[in-house]
Amino acid sequence: MAVYIKEATAISPQNTFGAKVLPEEPATYTDVNMLRCIEPVYRDFIDPMVARRMSRIVKMGVCCALRCLRDSGIEVPDAIIAGTGLGCLEDTEKFLGSIYANEEKLLNPTPFIQSTHNTVAGAVALAIKCHNYNATYTHRGFSFENALEDALLQLAENPGLRMLTGGFDEVTPGSYEITRRMGLWKNHPVSNLSLEQYHTRGSLPGEGVAFFMLGGRKDAGDWAAIRSIQTFYKPASEAEVAQRISNFMADCGLKTGKPDLVIFGKNGDVTGDRYYEYVISGLLKNIPHVSYKHLCGEYDTSASFALWLAALMIKEQRIPSYLEGGKNLPRELNHVLIYNHLRGVNHSLYFLERC
Amino acid sequence: MEQLIAKLKSEIIEVLNLSELSPDEIDENAPLFVEGLGLDSIDALELIVLLEKNYGLKLGTAEEGKKVLRSVRSMAEFIRENNKG
Repeated sequence: MAVYIKEATAISPQNTFGAKVLPEEPATYTDVNMLRCIEPVYRDFIDPMVARRMSRIVKMGVCCALRCLRDSGIEVPDAIIAGTGLGCLEDTEKFLGSIYANEEKLLNPTPFIQSTHNTVAGAVALAIKCHNYNATYTHRGFSFENALEDALLQLAENPGLRMLTGGFDEVTPGSYEITRRMGLWKNHPVSNLSLEQYHTRGSLPGEGVAFFMLGGRKDAGDWAAIRSIQTFYKPASEAEVAQRISNFMADCGLKTGKPDLVIFGKNGDVTGDRYYEYVISGLLKNIPHVSYKHLCGEYDTSASFALWLAALMIKEQRIPSYLEGGKNLPRELNHVLIYNHLRGVNHSLYFLERC
Repeated sequence: MEQLIAKLKSEIIEVLNLSELSPDEIDENAPLFVEGLGLDSIDALELIVLLEKNYGLKLGTAEEGKKVLRSVRSMAEFIRENNKG
């Protein structure tokens, strides 16, 4: 069974908010340690008296979800399902800092209330007075996938439902500093468009929000169809990854045996990119491929950005030049495979079809 | 008293993140909740923390809270009457 993407909105380090066509030019960042989102004008979507309590990621999440709802013409969805790896970090840091600074006394309630992982989905529900199903999944690099899986399962039972489903994560200077010491990021400033060319350890941290309006019945104007998703945890080897991708494609019933395009989550970290290189030179050899993390950076729910990108490319039937791998580009995008992993631990596969 | 009211207004703007307001725009005699600034119960908690953190003052009962948190002026009067610092 396929699930149809009726509408999608992304807030990212690129000019993606409300975009109905792919940006002609990428946003470039030179000598940076992290990629942060280009923020929309919040007051167009959120009452300033309400927004004053919201941290940056909550405002981005609510704004993105409300834009997705508005563009899809749905006032109240049948469900709001979100996935986030690290939740609302800014408020978490503020709250923990306050505990330390005030010796565990006199804590301000707002950062605590707003720091929970389900703040965004809850705030969206409050904004539109939605009393329907509301859930937030947090499971590192499977967070968005689990949210999507929930939507897919519910749509399998009730195809007529409309599920607002999304992923979000933010990077803050505090979280960057801690994870930098863990060796997750490059130890020098980088230029985002050259991310794959450094051939060193570590990646470039990023952030983003993407929301999708999903339905189980095909309509005119759908962006793309999600045929299947799959996750797998800590594969033993690159060969196991290749085997899993092969099985996944077979399960998806690809008649030609190959997708028209593969979107990889290469992030410029040699320790993690080896999985991609292995299948590029083997199982998926000669299949056109592109990467996306030079546009949004690395974060737990970055696959939601890849899904937004894939859906829009399928809808537009166009691969922008800043994504091109440079060779064998397909004339049509009928089947697109996304393969991403987070630090070699959480691996995910998405299979999309043209509607 | 007027100096204390001005200081309190700035502190309220900061803790409640009312960055779009200037101290002059807050009427010290207007109700803080529902009308006036239109604050709610979470804001009340923030104001209670403000009083304790900045002035070392605790509100004893809910009734006292209602009276003290009625307006900026009532908060200032409570501080002036009780602040030993």
